[in-house]
This record gives sequence, structure tokens and C-alpha cells, in this order.
Amino acid sequence: MAAKRAGRAETDQVIEAYKRHIDRSLLRENLRLTVEQRFKNLQRLQLFASELRKSLRRGG
Amino acid sequence: MTDFESLIRLLAGSGVEFILVGGAAATAHGSARLTQDLDILYRRSPENMVRLAACLATHHPYLRDAPTGLPFRLDAETIQRGLNFTLMTDLGALDLFGEITGGGRYEDLLNDTIQLELFGVTCRCLGLNRLIEVKRAAGRPRDLEAIAELEALREERERTSR
Repeated sequence: MAAKRAGRAETDQVIEAYKRHIDRSLLRENLRLTVEQRFKNLQRLQLFASELRKSLRRGG
Repeated sequence: MTDFESLIRLLAGSGVEFILVGGAAATAHGSARLTQDLDILYRRSPENMVRLAACLATHHPYLRDAPTGLPFRLDAETIQRGLNFTLMTDLGALDLFGEITGGGRYEDLLNDTIQLELFGVTCRCLGLNRLIEVKRAAGRPRDLEAIAELEALREERERTSR
């Protein structure tokens, strides 16, 4: 039980550390969008990542 | 590339009972992270498994990373015999979960879902609080950054609703 609590505390610390580096302005922007718009942005991001990977393969 | 819109339309339009979970659910809640596949928790009733297999049949579902030539057919019987499937389809990567760690089955999570009107169809998505709980319960190190973002989203939502 104590080990589980310690594990949880450790996890919380890591999560809090990550939280400090999150760009909340992006999240606020997303929260202003509809769910459909959020998915459309995800599709665009996917496309961009795919193009980037292709370009890196060509260049490498 | 995964065509989220077409997959969601296909599943919901075919009457498949499912809940959006994982990265797609996070996107629905406002996550800015890139996710590459659509994760769904499907209801394991015989009728639903028939619907699920039937609607995917024309999109050539195949096990991701399976050796080429491995005989695989996703029909209701295959789904019944298995539980979770990581698939590649003509519409992109689709993960089917009959059960998820820390969350259980479709029926266990149904009360913790929200209904979304999306791409002209209605579908269910795991609520933000439960999504965070499930990710925490899964205990995967790679999820910690995603949990941090989901918690930040919850804080932002609470801040704006005050």
C-alpha cells in the first residue's frame, strides 16, 4: 500500500513537471474550436508530419 | 495517414456501438498532440461484432505489423475469439478494444461518456475525467505527458467556466 502511494506521488511529480512546459495558449485556442474543427486540425497535423517524414527520407 | 472523419462516419453510420478512447478522445477534448490511429472501445455483443466486421470488410482490415501473407480475416467470429486488435485499413490505423486497462468494457464506461455530433453522425466519447483516470490506471510511462496535457485542459476548462 505504501509502495503504491509512493508510486502515485512519483507519478504526480512527473505529471506536474510536464504540466509546467505545456503551451496553454494552444489548448485555449483548441477549446475555442468545435470538436469537428479539432479533428480537422489533427488531420492537417498528420499530413504535415507525413510530408516532413517524406522530405527527411529524400534528404537523408 | 488515418482518415478519422471517414472512419468515424463509417462506424457510427453502420450502427456500431463504440466509444472513442485514447488519442482521438483526447483530440475531441482539445488536445494538441498528434495521434496516428483511431482507438475505439467496441461493445462485445454478437450483433455489434457482426456490424463491426461487416462495415470494415470492404476496407481490407489487416493486423498491423503482421508478417506479409499471414492469413487473416476480420469477421465476427474472429472478433469473438479475440479481444483487442491493432488494424491497418484502407482508411488508416484503427485499434479495436474489447476492454481497456483501468476502464473495463463498453458497458463499464458508457455512463462516463459524452455524446458528440461529429461529421454528420453521433458518436460517444469517453469523458475527460474518466479518460485521465484510465490513462493513469494504465500506468504507461509514455502516457505521462499526455496525462499532463489532459489535466491542463481540465484546468483550463474549469477556469473558463468559473
